[in-house]
Amino acid sequence: MTVIRLDRVAKCFHIRPDRPRSFQDLAIGFVRRAQRPADEEFWALKDVSFAVDAGETLGIIGANGSGKSTCLKLLTRIIEPTTGAIQVQGRVSALLELGAGFHPELSGRENVFLNGSVLGLTRREMVRRFDDIVAFAELERFIDVPVKFYSSGMYVRLAFATAISVDADILLVDEVLAVGDQSFQEKCLERIHELKSQGTTIVFVSHSLDAVRRLCSRAIWLDQGLLQEDGLTEAVVTRYLRHVHAREEAEALRRREAEAEPVAEEHPAVVPAVTASESDGAEPESPPGQPPPQELAEEPVRRYRQRWGSREAEIIEVRLLDADGRDSLALTTGQPMTVCIRYRAHQRLEEPVFGVAIYRDDGLHMGGSNTYLARFPIPSIEGDGEVTYTIAALPLLEGTYYLSVAIHDAAEGSVYDYHEFSYRFRVYLGEVQERYGTVYIPGHWGHAVAEGALSEEAGA
Amino acid sequence: MISRLRGLWDYRELIGNLVARDLKVRYKHSVLGFVWSLLNPLLLMTVFTVVFTVMIPNYQVPGFPVFILCALLPWNFFNTSVMGAVQSISGNGHLIKKVYFPREILTIASVLANFCNFLLSLPVLIFFVVLFRIPLTVWLLYLPLIMLVHVVFTLGVALVLATANVFYRDTTVIMEVVMQAWFFLTPIFYPIDLLPEWGHPLGIAIPVRRLTYILNPMASIIASYRSVVYGFTNGAPPAPPAPDFLLRTALTCAICFLIGYAVFTHYSARFAEEV
Repeated sequence: MTVIRLDRVAKCFHIRPDRPRSFQDLAIGFVRRAQRPADEEFWALKDVSFAVDAGETLGIIGANGSGKSTCLKLLTRIIEPTTGAIQVQGRVSALLELGAGFHPELSGRENVFLNGSVLGLTRREMVRRFDDIVAFAELERFIDVPVKFYSSGMYVRLAFATAISVDADILLVDEVLAVGDQSFQEKCLERIHELKSQGTTIVFVSHSLDAVRRLCSRAIWLDQGLLQEDGLTEAVVTRYLRHVHAREEAEALRRREAEAEPVAEEHPAVVPAVTASESDGAEPESPPGQPPPQELAEEPVRRYRQRWGSREAEIIEVRLLDADGRDSLALTTGQPMTVCIRYRAHQRLEEPVFGVAIYRDDGLHMGGSNTYLARFPIPSIEGDGEVTYTIAALPLLEGTYYLSVAIHDAAEGSVYDYHEFSYRFRVYLGEVQERYGTVYIPGHWGHAVAEGALSEEAGA
Repeated sequence: MISRLRGLWDYRELIGNLVARDLKVRYKHSVLGFVWSLLNPLLLMTVFTVVFTVMIPNYQVPGFPVFILCALLPWNFFNTSVMGAVQSISGNGHLIKKVYFPREILTIASVLANFCNFLLSLPVLIFFVVLFRIPLTVWLLYLPLIMLVHVVFTLGVALVLATANVFYRDTTVIMEVVMQAWFFLTPIFYPIDLLPEWGHPLGIAIPVRRLTYILNPMASIIASYRSVVYGFTNGAPPAPPAPDFLLRTALTCAICFLIGYAVFTHYSARFAEEV
């Protein structure tokens, strides 16, 4: 049975910075006949349709300003849609902002009853729930104290306890779990799970994708007021994360290009030794007597956490390739990943060793390899070339990782070029849905039933 | 609109609780609480009595304190209701933005809280009636009817002003001035008989007394209160207001209410975005 239905809903907010806010402004406007700028329209939601069945748990995800909260407010009837229709069946309780209806001068007890009636309960219904509410909020001793003397924690506990206890058919939750201390948050989530198992329909808006994953069986992804995806939570969250990352990457690229341009245009004359293409990895060398140009001096610091080495051979470029061989900084657990190291040897070097190390963003060394240990000897290098390191099935779980890449000389232990902790990439869960522990260990499950049990089962 | 009004019945508990909240909060701080709310009309009554019977003993009205109090208390109810209701929506933004319920409940509760206050002050009025030996008549039974008309009119005004204040925040300031003017334009501390039948400002003949009743429902309402509680300035005992007079007043007030309610509901969908 469908309990929530949005049918081609759109919501437009008018942004009128110059709207007269008082009769005084209004009168002045008449006298001056001032030209008012046209209304600026902001469509928080554009043509969104979805339905929620009774007992379903729906998560709404999306970036800031994607229309999540607008969506929730429309469901509570606090605001009305500009076009389209919304149908909601059953009692709705919204955990939007807790304690909104509390009056500081009244005691906790009085506020609970007042809040209950705001949420549509009769006095008798509230009397029945009162003890539970107080117990859940752990406020037995303070229930007759005016709430203005409550700590913010007590306030929120009481508000949550009241809002959650109204036996709503539909519960709307918006980020409220970010309040209160850890143990109370856990308690709240527990209560929400309890309601879920009792068949309450829940619509949950959160920035915490983890919370959405844990609570919701289905998710929708809103992007700039449009419904992007609607489906199983895992699938929607994964696609959402990929999208977020792709955008971050594009943003980073754009920024890098924007920064690179002036360098290429302005500085060749100042730093003739470094050509535009070389500046990509080499540290700038200032002509004697001149201070190093600021932009150039700063760039390597941002690109590389640490770089050292004799530079007889240099790492010019490091790229990551995904399963399809495309450049990507978003890799997938269990899928292939290739690290391409482009180098330039300024002189002939015998038996160089190339190495790669992977770190988690908290600094944990996840692993790595070098051509010496892997028994992949490279006799010598001179000029430009490329070394690749391929991982057939990436064992990294979802998260942010850093790559260190180095060329050194095995025999003498001298480092030619070392980029430490220098290349950032992200890993997302794809087909592999495991997320516990440090790495993904590919394995297979088996199941055999004892003979007797099997025949019994077959018999039944 | 009818179904919307009927829907309010489901929220009677909320209205009741909000009224209780208003009253509790108002009286929580002072031990004297309720006495304080009586202080203002009693003080005004004393001042007007001194001014008009001692300092300007021009027109002699028998039982002047009762004459003035039976008009001051209803006016006080109207005044505090209007000034409270102006803020009833804009001052509850935290509620409006977070919870759905029919928004008019806030305005209605604000008016009803003041009405409770008014009811509580009535024994004081009766005390003065007895004190000044004005006969208590059966016509006091008209009071509930007059009060109903009065509340309906007050609600109409309150709903319009509550709406206006959401969009134009200086409504409160303007209303303070308007209410003061309204007080002087309403026959409260002077009898309506004092007004001439016809006035000739700028050479145009204007039926001053009739116009006062037509344009100012408060004049009619106060006249009705005065007629059943106090009687008349010539010393005649209390009498019921003329049925057609009361009917016309009731009709005007009902229309005011419907207009106010229509304005309110028309704009209430935008409240959550504006407060």
